[in-house]
Amino acid sequence: MAQQIESVGRSGQQSRPVGDVDEVVKITNLSKTFHRRGLTALEGVDLTLRHGTFTSVIGPSGCGKSTLLKIMAGLIPRSSGEILLNGMPVTGPRQDIGIMFQQPTLLPWRTSLDNVLLPIEVKSGSAAAREQSDKAMQLLELVGLKGFEEVRPFELSGGMAQRVAICRMLVTGPSILLLDEPFGALDELTREYMNFELQRICLERDATTFMVTHAIPEAVFMADQVVVMSARPGRIVMIVDVDLPRPRSLDVMTTPEFATLVRSVRRSLDMGDLGADE
Amino acid sequence: MTQVAREHTEPTEMSDAEALWYSGSWIDRIPQPIAILTLGALMLGTWWLVVQIGYVSRILLPGPAETWDELMDITGNILTGGHVGEALWITTQETILGFLSAAVLGIFLGVVVGETRIGQKAVMPYLVAFNALPKVAFAPVFVAWFGFGINSKIVMALFIAFFPVIVSTAAGLWAVDTDTLMLFKSMEAGRWQTLRKLKLPSALPYIFAGLKAAAVFAVVGAVVGEYLGGGKGMGELIRLASQTLRIDRVFAMIFYLGVLGLLLFGAVALAEKKLLFWQKSDTFDIQGGV
Ligand SMILES: Nc1ncnc2c1ncn2[C@@H]1O[C@H](COP(=O)(O)OP(=O)(O)OP(=O)(O)O)[C@@H](O)[C@H]1O
Ligand SMILES: [Mg+2]
Repeated sequence: MAQQIESVGRSGQQSRPVGDVDEVVKITNLSKTFHRRGLTALEGVDLTLRHGTFTSVIGPSGCGKSTLLKIMAGLIPRSSGEILLNGMPVTGPRQDIGIMFQQPTLLPWRTSLDNVLLPIEVKSGSAAAREQSDKAMQLLELVGLKGFEEVRPFELSGGMAQRVAICRMLVTGPSILLLDEPFGALDELTREYMNFELQRICLERDATTFMVTHAIPEAVFMADQVVVMSARPGRIVMIVDVDLPRPRSLDVMTTPEFATLVRSVRRSLDMGDLGADE
Repeated sequence: MTQVAREHTEPTEMSDAEALWYSGSWIDRIPQPIAILTLGALMLGTWWLVVQIGYVSRILLPGPAETWDELMDITGNILTGGHVGEALWITTQETILGFLSAAVLGIFLGVVVGETRIGQKAVMPYLVAFNALPKVAFAPVFVAWFGFGINSKIVMALFIAFFPVIVSTAAGLWAVDTDTLMLFKSMEAGRWQTLRKLKLPSALPYIFAGLKAAAVFAVVGAVVGEYLGGGKGMGELIRLASQTLRIDRVFAMIFYLGVLGLLLFGAVALAEKKLLFWQKSDTFDIQGGV
């Protein structure tokens, strides 16, 4: 059974052209073992992120989604395999990657504006950050936070705080966005709205995006490809391509095509579970 | 959209924690100042009664009235710059200098311990072991090393006060949120940048908890130093007064030591409130003894 599942994943890979200049991230046979616990978190992961596409990742808790994201960001080392970013091996953190976590991780003693400017300040100093404050203001306006520039995080709602975090991720103009369940802590309505905003931003910037999520409809709604993972060891069971036209409105969720895609993602998730139990 | 109105009938201006305690019984409705004054009066009354019954000798336990009279005498002496005033000034200097050096040295060592592997692996166990020693036992040593003057008392105050600062500073640095650390790493922040822009500010609540403990300990250190190493401070006067069984005098002078400790603690708490504007704090949470 597991064999069969893996072959599904592989054939999904092979249907794409290989060695394309379009390949922003190319992961081949990536594995990760946490030696201290003797735990294989990821095994034989092959994945390609093409320029300007949106990839959703879904899978049971503990299957290594966050680990995969952190390896891509150069935050933790891989155990084996290869990971190329614009053709170059990933060796450490890079400025052209924007990252976002489940929690906003804003610094509570800084205003929204100063939180957005943090990456510039860290990279080039306070003077450079001050020069870029117009840009940061524009970003805050873009996500609907005009007038909240001087407010501190404890006065923001969860959704507003995550929007500040989006601006902080975007301020250095990264071409690759890595998001680890960015809106998982938000309520349904806010989450839909934020996903919508994120889609707009990604289209506008032609960004290559990789987003971890727990919700199947969200994964399908956002993505050009949905990566389905299984646990113990974490591996890709299936990649579902989503060919729904963009920009997508919430209406797309009521179409039969959408329902079909959701069903096939769910089926591969269930298959992954069975595979892990074997 | 529907606006769901959920009105609570309990008094507003309560934190959630307070609301959990609130039961609506009579004790919750007494304003705090009145509660404090009532309990104080009860304790004074008990004191007065115990002395009045004559169960203990008035020489060993003077009543509230005698103590009050003595307190007034002492206050007069302090205000006119008499010998008690001079002694209080000396003890104040010892306490403040001891506290400040404990703060500087404690935060510095705390950062060393919290930021380096050697610190974490090798220095911290020694600090924990040292911390378990009865530190006042070192007082005679400091007197031998630094003499009968003010210096041995400053060192004693420093020695008692700086352990909590080290430990809480290191703990604060270790308690930094992992995702935020990851964020700093992704921004390629250097070690110094991460320390200055992330770790130290987020450790401030911990550091202040240590400093508040240090404020109280510094007074203890100074007075213990004076008990054992002489000098001209309040400790020496208290020792002399108790040798001549002037317990009322001892009580009156201890009162002023209490004022000194409270003022220093209050100053630290005030600085905390100003600096930690982004978070609520329990200013008067009680710190453990020596
Ligand atoms: N630093 C670490 N050291 C040891 N094991 C780790 C470490 N980080 C993660 N793991 C383990 O690796 C596995 C994958 O973890 P990961 O956080 O990537 O899962 P996830 O798919 O993101 O889960 P979730 O959906 O719950 O966030 C888990 O079993 C976890 O216990
Ligand atoms: Mg995760």
